[in-house]
Amino acid sequence: MPRSMIDSPELQALSRFLDVSASRTELITSNLANIDTPGYRTRDINFRQELERASGDGEFAYADFAPAVREVRGLASRPDGNNVSLEREGLLLAETQLRFQVGVQVLQAEYHRIVSAIKEGGS
Amino acid sequence: MNLFGMLEISGSGMTAERQRAQVVVSNMANAQTTHTPEGGPYKRQLVVFRAQRQPQFPVIMLASGGARSGGAESVRVQQVVADKKPPLLRYEPGNPDADTKGYVAYPNIDPVEEMTDLLGAVRAYELNASAVQAAKSMIQQSLDILK
Repeated sequence: MPRSMIDSPELQALSRFLDVSASRTELITSNLANIDTPGYRTRDINFRQELERASGDGEFAYADFAPAVREVRGLASRPDGNNVSLEREGLLLAETQLRFQVGVQVLQAEYHRIVSAIKEGGS
Repeated sequence: MNLFGMLEISGSGMTAERQRAQVVVSNMANAQTTHTPEGGPYKRQLVVFRAQRQPQFPVIMLASGGARSGGAESVRVQQVVADKKPPLLRYEPGNPDADTKGYVAYPNIDPVEEMTDLLGAVRAYELNASAVQAAKSMIQQSLDILK
């Protein structure tokens, strides 16, 4: 059976990559929003692990995909019990944003390839 | 993928920090207020922040595609409480708010404390505003896939 170009494993993997990146950015914004909340603990997901889980064998179930959120260990707590580190979150926000951008660019290139094939190589 | 959830969370952070700044400037404005509707001098107000699970509005949409937002929490001002510090007493027998011994109760407000709190609120507001910028650029990039 010829492999489908529109629904190739590469495209599926990319969409999962974007999903995990977006989930992670959401957690980072949540950490930043709670930077002054007493007792709030920094949360994060293990990017590699979640991406592997999302890209695991068989069908990917969107509805069931809820990344495992973990409390980040090893961060210094303030006296009010909050341990959000501005530096950590700022760097991660920039990093995750760039990762997302990479995913989008590759996805776009992939789609352009398909469009180019549809148009028989013409632009 | 819940890109708009980020905007909501950062927005909640901005709202909470703005409320905090509002309470702080109210404290500074009333640093000399000896008369309030409740009686007595103005009492220093403090905000209490609380993390809050994101309301799962787009659940129906997510059931058919897209990841659930996992464990992300927004923030809100749970309550505004009055500081329990006792008022400062100053001897001003001519003041209409003076007690029988001639002392007037003034709010116990330290301008330095309030200014640092205000700066903290402004910085945290900026922080959330840059997180909004990040979320916006991610949404814009996703839209660019369609081009």
